[in-house]
Amino acid sequence: MPAEDMGKLSDKLRLTFAVSTVVCVLVLAISPVKDFRAEWKHYKRAYVKFAQGRSDTKRLLGDYTMEIDQIWLPTMNVTDRCMTCHQGIAQPSLADSSVPQPFRAHPSIPHNIREWGCTICHRGQGPATEVAEAHKTTLAWEQPLLPARFLQASCGSCHQADIKEAPQLARGRELLSYLNCQGCHRLNTVDRSRLGPDLSSVGYKVSREWIYKWLKEPRTVLDKDGNTTVNGYENGDESRMPKFRLKEEEIRALSGFLSVQKAKPIEVYKINPAVVSAWSKNPELLSQGELRFRQMMCTTCHPLAVTRAGETKLIGGNIGPELTKIGSKVNKAWLIAWLRDPKSYLPNTSMPQYRWSDEDLYKVSEYVTSKLSDSDLFSNVPQLGAPTEEEIQTGKRLFTDKGCSSCHVLNGAPTQKDFGPDLTALGRKNASELEFSKSKIERNLVSYIQAKLQDPVSVNPAARMPQYSWNQEDLDAVTTALLSQTGPPPTSALQHLVIPKKETAFQVVGAFAQVFERYKCYACHRFNGYGGTLAPDLSYEGSRAQKKWIAEFLKNPQTIRPALILRMPQFNMSDKDAQVAAEYLSLVLQKPDVDPESVDVRQFTPAMAAKGKQLYEVKYECQSCHTIGATGGYVGPNLNNAGNWLTPAWIEAWLRNPQALLPDTLEPRRNFTEEEIRALTAYLLTLRTGIKTQSVKSAGNLHSLAQGAGR
Amino acid sequence: MPTPFNAALEDLRTTRVWKSIFRRGPANSNRTRSIAVFGNLFLHWLPVKVREKSLRVRAAYYLGSLSFLLFIMLVVTGVLLMFYYHPAVPNAYRDMKDLQFVVSNGVFLRNMHRLGAHLMVLLVFWHMFHVFYRGGYKPPHEFNWVIGVLLLLVTLFLSYTGYLLPWDQLAFWAVTVGTNIISAMPVIGRKVRFVALGGNIVGENALLRFYVLHVVILPLLAFLFIGVHFWRVQKDGGLTVRPTRDEDGTNKD
Repeated sequence: MPAEDMGKLSDKLRLTFAVSTVVCVLVLAISPVKDFRAEWKHYKRAYVKFAQGRSDTKRLLGDYTMEIDQIWLPTMNVTDRCMTCHQGIAQPSLADSSVPQPFRAHPSIPHNIREWGCTICHRGQGPATEVAEAHKTTLAWEQPLLPARFLQASCGSCHQADIKEAPQLARGRELLSYLNCQGCHRLNTVDRSRLGPDLSSVGYKVSREWIYKWLKEPRTVLDKDGNTTVNGYENGDESRMPKFRLKEEEIRALSGFLSVQKAKPIEVYKINPAVVSAWSKNPELLSQGELRFRQMMCTTCHPLAVTRAGETKLIGGNIGPELTKIGSKVNKAWLIAWLRDPKSYLPNTSMPQYRWSDEDLYKVSEYVTSKLSDSDLFSNVPQLGAPTEEEIQTGKRLFTDKGCSSCHVLNGAPTQKDFGPDLTALGRKNASELEFSKSKIERNLVSYIQAKLQDPVSVNPAARMPQYSWNQEDLDAVTTALLSQTGPPPTSALQHLVIPKKETAFQVVGAFAQVFERYKCYACHRFNGYGGTLAPDLSYEGSRAQKKWIAEFLKNPQTIRPALILRMPQFNMSDKDAQVAAEYLSLVLQKPDVDPESVDVRQFTPAMAAKGKQLYEVKYECQSCHTIGATGGYVGPNLNNAGNWLTPAWIEAWLRNPQALLPDTLEPRRNFTEEEIRALTAYLLTLRTGIKTQSVKSAGNLHSLAQGAGR
Repeated sequence: MPTPFNAALEDLRTTRVWKSIFRRGPANSNRTRSIAVFGNLFLHWLPVKVREKSLRVRAAYYLGSLSFLLFIMLVVTGVLLMFYYHPAVPNAYRDMKDLQFVVSNGVFLRNMHRLGAHLMVLLVFWHMFHVFYRGGYKPPHEFNWVIGVLLLLVTLFLSYTGYLLPWDQLAFWAVTVGTNIISAMPVIGRKVRFVALGGNIVGENALLRFYVLHVVILPLLAFLFIGVHFWRVQKDGGLTVRPTRDEDGTNKD
């Protein structure tokens, strides 16, 4: 090319340049245009429009800017841009449900949103500024928003102890523990201490036929037409023993194997023949047995199916097993040995050791074996006979293979751990980490958990997990509790957010330790955070009740709250045991800030008591909740014997601020003046029914019956 | 045709400031053009004279030039991305999210860099095949062929080190697998892997190492070898065009 022509372009080339320049500029313009039309800007503008249509425009748009809003908490790994679209989240006037989303205000919660952000509880993708990216599972973010009905799961990630704001979570955790999920699975916050019964000597207790039926249909009550009437699965009173998917020959083998487990022979007790001959012909035997059974308040711990008006219901507590057909289940000799000394058969049992007279033992055991039984129980169980050696060997293998040994101890061998997968971090799992097999359910964690709980085989054909059946409420509660198993925080910087469960060790020493163990006080009562929740917390019983009253009450529990169905059982406690317990309770279980010396009883005059009575009846109308004499309500405890029952210091402290002593009490705080408090205390201390005479009258009859026959 | 604009330009070229910057007159003869090329840092790479044939598209499909152009583009977008990126474990992935959601044209920027890198690897390979099948590795080009192979390796290492930086699952596992392959080397495998990762796992140290390699060491090497490569092209007499076929008149180009 000659030098002079260089730099000269043909028209064709010029056109090519022009077109390619335009195309290039257009291509480069795509990104800025997309930026300009970003999704979040649409919501920003919509909010302005929405706010302008309301009367409080000025306040709503007070700090409005056309920018991305975010909560940035670097120490908590939170960058939440949710309020870029959810702009009214902190505007109290937008709390109404008529306000369209995404502008509605957040319901009031104990945490400040500005300090916690959104995604710590709601999950989803905080940094996102697009609707789909923020809420759903996307290519680069698998953890979607947690559905609102499982939101309490997020409380559980930090609050390892139950909190009253999250009842669903608490229920779910309770179910996880009650159903012994921790037998096979490792779970956070659920300890492994209470599992199924020790089966080392089960051959003495039940027959092979009963084991066969139990393995086939754990806890099902059939009426005479064969219909299921009380099904533990349906009334929320789920049997702890789940239904395993066992084949007929497996059930035969397991029942055979278990029926020959006779490690420790039972101590056969011979009831005094004089008692037997005196009562065996007595037509009153069974009704007297039932009376004693009821008086001992067995149903406080054990449920019993009761049919009233054609409807069968389980009545009673759920600490012990159901007793409806116990007579067909257990061997009578075993039953008597068990009632006399439960610990020798099951060292860890919660069953208290009652003090039995031969007469009571005979009456109650006769009642239980003949009335609480069902002759049709084994109608659909084949004749099994003695197990063959082969069946025993197969059963032995199945006992481990099917996971039985995860919950049941056999011959001192400890239960096997981690039979099922570790679930401590299940709540953080992504859908891609889960096995869905061929099921048609949605591919996310929540539907996986629910499908697995309802029908384990549907998501894993080889699942060994037993079959449960749930009502929707419990299913959601357990799902919530499982979703709360999010493992340790993602970074150690967040570790401080976890509020661990308090270690609740309550050590009892001295003579009371034996009484405590014998009567299993902790099965129902709570002591400094340790023990059951069925009965009142006794952590401060020593500050509350007078020693003499405690001793009398233990010997003859007269319920303070007559409206309750579940009452303290009558253990027939000896004088010595009652004294030891009263001594310990009143000396050790004190609330430090209730000083017994602070109230001098001598200062109370009859005039003050009269004024207190006036205040009680007229000014404050305490009788709307409390009963004195024959009048009053049943919400609060009966005060008939308040003068013998409560300590003066406790009454005064209680009147000053009941919630300081018992945070959950219904008693309102009335802001009495000090003078009124003294008057009311003076009045309450005059209320004495003379518990002595009453207890002699009612309990005396029972004692004379029992002891008279024993002599 | 002297227009007022051209006249003004001519006047400008006579000013002292202009002359102190450009230090030469208009490049309107072979001599002045030579001076212009020799005297200019960037044009110095280019030959003084180019055969018209070697400017045709099919001579080399501009594959080398395009690779270079992409390299420049990657440097520019890469520097911009460095403004938004922290090579640290909790931050790296979050920075990707910020690019996606809050940085203006962040997605465009990142995609330019990412897709440009993919395209560059593609073009560099194509370039190599083209040179190979044209016999460009034969003397006197054998030295430049070796430089070219080194440039290919630098390109691949740049691509591989850049792959870890988003710190997502793809990145993590790609590097985990890749460095496990290193450890299969006899005797020194595990040591080399340890040095490459700055530890035994793909963690924060590995991220920092890969980042430094990606933004400092490898680009400097690339600049060095590109310079040598271009310089050699010129010294070896420009592009390899098919002289034999051209001479016997069978070439239709």
